[in-house]
Amino acid sequence: MVTTTTKAPSTALTSFVVASRYMPVYIALVLLVIVAFLWAPATLSSVALRAVAPYGAVLGITALGQMLVIMTGGIDLSVPGTMSLAAVIMVGVGDGSNERIAIAIVTALVAAAIVGLVNGILIGGLKLNALIITLAVGLIVNGVVNRYGSTFPVQSPVPPGMSDWTSTRILGVSPIFWIGVGLTVVLIVGLRYAAIGRRFQAVGANPVASHVVGVRVTSNQILVYVVAAVFYAIAGVALAGLIRTPGVAVGSQYLLGPIAAVVIGGASLTGGLASPLSTFAAAFFLTGLNQMLRTMGLPTALQFVVFGVVIIGGMLVSGDRIVRGVEQVIRERKRDRSQTPALLGSAEERAWKEEGM
Amino acid sequence: MQRIRIIGVIVVLALVTAACGGGDETPGDTPTPTGATGSGGLSDFGESIDADPALVEKALGPVEPSDEESWNIILASIARADQDLDQATIDKAMECWSNQECDTGTGGETVMGYADGGGDTVNVWRAVSHMEAILQALTYDEIGAIVSTEANFGGPTFDPTIAENDMRFLISRGVDFIVGYPDIGIGLREEVLEAEAAGIPYIPFSAGYVGLPGQEGALVPGEDYLTVVGENLCDLGDSFADVLNSGVGTGEVALLGGTPNNALSLGWQQCAVSGFADGIDLVNPPANENTTTGDTSWFPPAIPAVFQGLLTTNPEIKGWAYEYADGMNIGLQTYADLGIPVENLTVALRTDEQNLFCDWAERDEPTYHIWYSAGGNFQSRVGVTAAMLSLKGAEIPAELVVPHVMREVTEADCDPARVNEAVSGTSLVPDEVLQLMFAG
Repeated sequence: MVTTTTKAPSTALTSFVVASRYMPVYIALVLLVIVAFLWAPATLSSVALRAVAPYGAVLGITALGQMLVIMTGGIDLSVPGTMSLAAVIMVGVGDGSNERIAIAIVTALVAAAIVGLVNGILIGGLKLNALIITLAVGLIVNGVVNRYGSTFPVQSPVPPGMSDWTSTRILGVSPIFWIGVGLTVVLIVGLRYAAIGRRFQAVGANPVASHVVGVRVTSNQILVYVVAAVFYAIAGVALAGLIRTPGVAVGSQYLLGPIAAVVIGGASLTGGLASPLSTFAAAFFLTGLNQMLRTMGLPTALQFVVFGVVIIGGMLVSGDRIVRGVEQVIRERKRDRSQTPALLGSAEERAWKEEGM
Repeated sequence: MQRIRIIGVIVVLALVTAACGGGDETPGDTPTPTGATGSGGLSDFGESIDADPALVEKALGPVEPSDEESWNIILASIARADQDLDQATIDKAMECWSNQECDTGTGGETVMGYADGGGDTVNVWRAVSHMEAILQALTYDEIGAIVSTEANFGGPTFDPTIAENDMRFLISRGVDFIVGYPDIGIGLREEVLEAEAAGIPYIPFSAGYVGLPGQEGALVPGEDYLTVVGENLCDLGDSFADVLNSGVGTGEVALLGGTPNNALSLGWQQCAVSGFADGIDLVNPPANENTTTGDTSWFPPAIPAVFQGLLTTNPEIKGWAYEYADGMNIGLQTYADLGIPVENLTVALRTDEQNLFCDWAERDEPTYHIWYSAGGNFQSRVGVTAAMLSLKGAEIPAELVVPHVMREVTEADCDPARVNEAVSGTSLVPDEVLQLMFAG
């Protein structure tokens, strides 16, 4: 497992190395804006950005949930099913009545939490493979969604109050965007200042060491799937309000996107550090990219190709690679100067420091 | 006594002559299949073309008949579309619609297969078309079981192998014919050939060619599979172009389609593009002759993004051409999201889901015009009847051409009493059945 450094000769250098893993997404955003300015300037208009904002936020919210899972070294492929489950619950439980919106939302969140709990127990508790288990659970949930969806007419709408609310504007932008921003802030604060957030990171970075220092690794690994599933449900509820007649496959487009957003946002797929802000930004990068490709009139097949190439590109310049590259450069420069050992984390380096050189 | 005997012999001779049908046949010969060339031919196979003219107009509008063979089979199909069903039939229809397999209760030995690349839960159009086929099958005592599959586009991964495996399932199940819509088009080629090799006729409807004629690798209807039911796609595209040429005159227009490169969208889009007048500026031309443009997959959650992509750069679009009225209705939300007024707009559509028409009526915008053809739900009925005719030995034309006519929307096209707004007005599913399907 790659262990990111927490020990560096100076705080500034440490901060630089850590921050470097999150740079690619911002560089990508700048590049996207430049390309859009040149080839599809209309996508940068305020009207276009406002229209895209809620969809970017939906992807962002799912990506934040996925980020939490990935931070603990796991992965979650049940996102489409969980989102679709939340969406059809809004239709079924909501039953077209504004008075039932609240109970429908609560039901959706609870149902999603149960899905997350199943994932968590199988993966965190029984130590089964996350990729396989979440894929399997996702398929089961899809089956449940299809069965439940067949109990009410196809293309049934969510309660009108729900869809009306998603059409409102707060400071000119959809409230779904602000929910995404709010969740991002909550995670930033939680991961940085709350014990539970630091535990998530520690479990992902080194579960053995975490266990040694008393962190309840299994409980945290279970809890993260529950929390993530609630995030997916929030996104599913929001999407249902946007689409108005969500259908049973409304979440189908959210299998790869959230993972791509997390990776492009600088997180390591092996667990550890991640940035909610970068992840949320990456979601908007991907949404904006999709929008631009459509606006440029690319055939659907080519859109898929470009999207896949960008994701591969994101993996190639992922946070881990950036960090390793920066470490390598710093290490070589130090070696060139003083023939000293590796900069970060080696016994020789500690000995060198003790000798005061 | 002698006179009585002579009269008796004459009567017997007359009866024998009538039974043998004239001088071309010798007594005892069975009638040779004559194809669907006229009422006499179809009646040999137990069909009647005495369809209720009101139902014909309901399903198709004020069309001119297509070629005689196609038209007779269409009439024969509609003739079976009884609108006054007994409760037992309604219950059986709902049972078959809600389950993968059902016993029709007739004791018949024929098994019908239904293969939808999408499914009842994808959109209302598919759900209704499925029911149309079931109701048609229930009019045949020979059909003892109905087996239905729906690929749902392969779920989250949009996996075409799901649709392929559905076909293989039906083949292994031993169905006697398969009616369906091949969303993956040419991707279903091998499975269709397998079915035909197993003696199972395949009949796609809604112009669901397994590869458009001329496409590399496309199967040939009439040779590789029994037939295809649908409009002449080039005529449909020309009709769409005519609507936009006259309605828009000079300005920007956009095309929308369904699943990427499906035959229906590809076929009409090709001809629509070549049919536009000089003043028409198509903002999203297809990349080449083998690709569609404006792909929505007819999938409601995917539609807003397509509209967004086009309207953000082309807010002055004055015309749309699309198969799917309900999808257009969903796209209008994007107009509201982007603050673009719905005015000076002409829309050419194939289907006629009423929610769009009721929205049009509510808007009461004199510069907003909608033209539509027909939902085509009933075409699955034509597929069933064509299959049964074929099993009985009739010759079926390679293409069963469904005529079409473009009609402008009026307030009469919005029926407030409709069970579900998203159901086409041209559907032949009785209201009592629609009530059970969509009223929850």
